[in-house]
Amino acid sequence: MTALVVAALSAREVGRRRVALALMVTLPLWFYLLRRSAEGQSVRMLALGMAWAVSALTLFVVNAARGVDPRLRLTGASTLAVIGGRLLALTAGGIALAAAYWALVVADQRPERPWAAALMMALTAVVAAPLGSLIAALLPRELEGALALLSICAVQMLADPPTLVAHLMPFWSLRELGTYVIDGADAGYLWRALLHAALTWLICAGGTYALFAWRLRLPRYPEP
Amino acid sequence: MTPDSPRPNPHGGAGPSGGAGPSGGAGPASGWADRFADELLRLGVQPPRARRLAEETTQQAAECATAPDALFGPAHLYARHLITELNTAALNPTALNPTAFNPTALNPAVPKAGAGPSGGAIDPGDVRLRLTGVGKRYRRRTIFAGVNLTVRAGEVAAIVGANGCGKSTLLRICASLTRPSSGTVQRTRRVGFVPQDGGTAGWLTADEHFTLFGAAAGVAPRRARSTGEHLAGRLAWRPSRDQLTQHLSGGTRQKLNLVLGELHSPDLLLLDEPYQGFDQGTYLSFWQQILAWRDAGKAVVVVTHLLHDLQHVNQVHDLGATA
Repeated sequence: MTALVVAALSAREVGRRRVALALMVTLPLWFYLLRRSAEGQSVRMLALGMAWAVSALTLFVVNAARGVDPRLRLTGASTLAVIGGRLLALTAGGIALAAAYWALVVADQRPERPWAAALMMALTAVVAAPLGSLIAALLPRELEGALALLSICAVQMLADPPTLVAHLMPFWSLRELGTYVIDGADAGYLWRALLHAALTWLICAGGTYALFAWRLRLPRYPEP
Repeated sequence: MTPDSPRPNPHGGAGPSGGAGPSGGAGPASGWADRFADELLRLGVQPPRARRLAEETTQQAAECATAPDALFGPAHLYARHLITELNTAALNPTALNPTAFNPTALNPAVPKAGAGPSGGAIDPGDVRLRLTGVGKRYRRRTIFAGVNLTVRAGEVAAIVGANGCGKSTLLRICASLTRPSSGTVQRTRRVGFVPQDGGTAGWLTADEHFTLFGAAAGVAPRRARSTGEHLAGRLAWRPSRDQLTQHLSGGTRQKLNLVLGELHSPDLLLLDEPYQGFDQGTYLSFWQQILAWRDAGKAVVVVTHLLHDLQHVNQVHDLGATA
């Protein structure tokens, strides 16, 4: 129950930051419009823009709650409820954003595999939220966190696909799925993408939990 | 009236449910009595006695031709209030007229002062916090060392000292938010912590904070809001339903912090200069509130640098000049 309350209130908090929310929602659109003439590029760039938007939003929301979290723990909430609730809200918001952009892609580009395009968008949101929270856990200050996310997205965008660096990037799965969606590649691309996304999610969500469990740990003092 | 007969709650009329119309019929009165009895049971009162108290309370409301919630306030809060009053009397029998109140008449199943909802009975004046040789170092710098402090139920302790001597760090150690470098800490499980600043979410309203912190303590949202609004009323504050915390004045934000610290009925309250931004009236209400907590058997530790605060406290621990 605590996780659901945290999720609902996190969503409400984000919903009230209207200007920031509008900027975050429209960010992927600029990525898309600038590459609209090139079908494959535009969808990949859209996904990368979404990844950047959702992870940045998560980063700021997690950092903004830094003062409240220890008090919630002290009041009785578990780390899993606090962190899980927030991730749940931002993942759900990201999936809603993904659904809207998927509708745009389907209407504008008519990809061969629309269901795979939907999977690509949803997977972007699902991976981006824990990545943002992991960066927030590692770099507690917002500026450092935002710069780190910018670096990741820049490397992701510029790295040559066959290189090891590209494979190690958190959103490499989007490139693979993009090839499957747009270029009609074989199912191997799909499975590799799913495996990579699952591993990335586990590392990011698990890392976030581990770091916050350590940071929000409360030593059990004996009763007098 | 039996020795522990219910008395109208001084906060009842101002409570969030206080606006209910008089004599809402058997339905609302019965619902209130059920909730009242349930809360008494949760607080450890034996079922026959809880039923009897509930019947007497509703009967008293009926005699006044008033609905119980209009006379006594929310059922769960009045149950807590009643238990607190009984425990206060048990702690300090002279506080009540001995002819009107006989502590030995108390049912032993009723928890003593500050006992948690688990119902574990704790003797009055039991130790709530004990620090033995506690010290804190940051790298090679010793902030403080060898701090010994014992705070019992029904006591207020003040921690004083110069800026930078580690008052807030010591309080965070008491709350278990910071680990001591040396020494041992023993403290009761249910603790409320009120930081000097921060500790709230700027984009949430006060009501949403009550819901959030209530959920953390396992309290249902509606009940957490009702409790929060009631506690806010004691600090002469009526939270607006749509005002964000970031738009509250500094003093009102601190009132919110205080309410959040008390929302889950802790046995030990740790307050880090919580009165910053309070006006004179609120400052006086704040100290009255601390004394009320003390009289209710709670232990309070307050960090302060105001010397005139010290007249209110039972003990003072001076952390000394900056290390």
